[in-house]
Amino acid sequence: MIIINILFGLVVGFLFGYILTRTGITKYPRVMGMLLLKDFKILKFMLTAVTSSMILFYLLGDFGLLKTVPKNLDWGKLVGGLIFGTGMGILGYCPGTMAARIGEGKKEAILSLFGMAIGIFIYALTIKNVKETFLSSEMNGDIFTQLGVNKWIVIIPAAIIFSAIIYFVNKNFSDNKKIF
Amino acid sequence: MNIDNSKEWHWFKGGILVSLLSVATYFIFSAIADRNYPFGITAGFGYIAAQFGRLFGDLSENPVIKRFSEKPDAFIEFFLLIGLIIGGYTASKLSGTFLSENIPAVWEKYHGKSLIKRYLFVLVGSIFLGYGAALASGCTTGNILQGWAHLSLGSIVAGASFFAAGIITAKILYPKTGGNDDNN
Repeated sequence: MIIINILFGLVVGFLFGYILTRTGITKYPRVMGMLLLKDFKILKFMLTAVTSSMILFYLLGDFGLLKTVPKNLDWGKLVGGLIFGTGMGILGYCPGTMAARIGEGKKEAILSLFGMAIGIFIYALTIKNVKETFLSSEMNGDIFTQLGVNKWIVIIPAAIIFSAIIYFVNKNFSDNKKIF
Repeated sequence: MNIDNSKEWHWFKGGILVSLLSVATYFIFSAIADRNYPFGITAGFGYIAAQFGRLFGDLSENPVIKRFSEKPDAFIEFFLLIGLIIGGYTASKLSGTFLSENIPAVWEKYHGKSLIKRYLFVLVGSIFLGYGAALASGCTTGNILQGWAHLSLGSIVAGASFFAAGIITAKILYPKTGGNDDNN
């Protein structure tokens, strides 16, 4: 069983890393270019993946093949999100791309791997206070229950909005513009 | 400096492939990792953090350390991290984009060659990344690629916060962009 887990992790990681690197998502100027609202390749890639998986997930769900479990809403999502975003701006990439970057020969990414683990370790040390402050009041993260509507009434407009954003940025911004 | 995209896949191809990977992984993941959620990255780093935790005996009962050292998904995601490194290596070698470098060229152009300065930023940035991902229970992969696809309220808030803070930080670090070293 342990062997299966290890192999599964390695294979999924390999495929994910291969796609990220091959598509150019791991590049520092691309991430910074996106955050500076000047290069949108990552956003287009992300929203394509999100839209496509959203439709696939819920179609398969309708056939009873899988069950999605939404993440609940609490203050940790907002505060943690802001801390994460600040880190992403300072660093210039995110955890998944960080690992792929190590494979691409980017030496500083090795340091960031330890930094990331240290960050989680510090989180563990502060968990008691964090729980009381940010995680005590939780709201069900299921948007369909919260809105009380059929899920496709949310999914279809969401897909249209995501596609419209992709269309708009694709029309107005080139993927190899000079930014820096 | 232009971003060279001549050797890159089209964003649409990459995006569709990631979505297929997400969905395929979902089935297997819930079967072997006792987790109704597709793959993420954060728990893999959590697994490393839990190994630090083992160095301190009195931390064995810490709920975060315990979760990351006992749950199978953290163990799987640790190997997912190793897979990512191998995947990045293979892809860059095959496409001829492998490039050994200490710090990003763009950083060097705007913030100087000092390794210590950049490494300090890297360390601080990645500690923020780790703390934030743990608190928001997921990083870009878990909260956007997966969480937005599920339209989870928690992930929508987390993902929007990633961008909001990232955009502000990037603007502070690069208040003025646009090189003037060539005409383009």
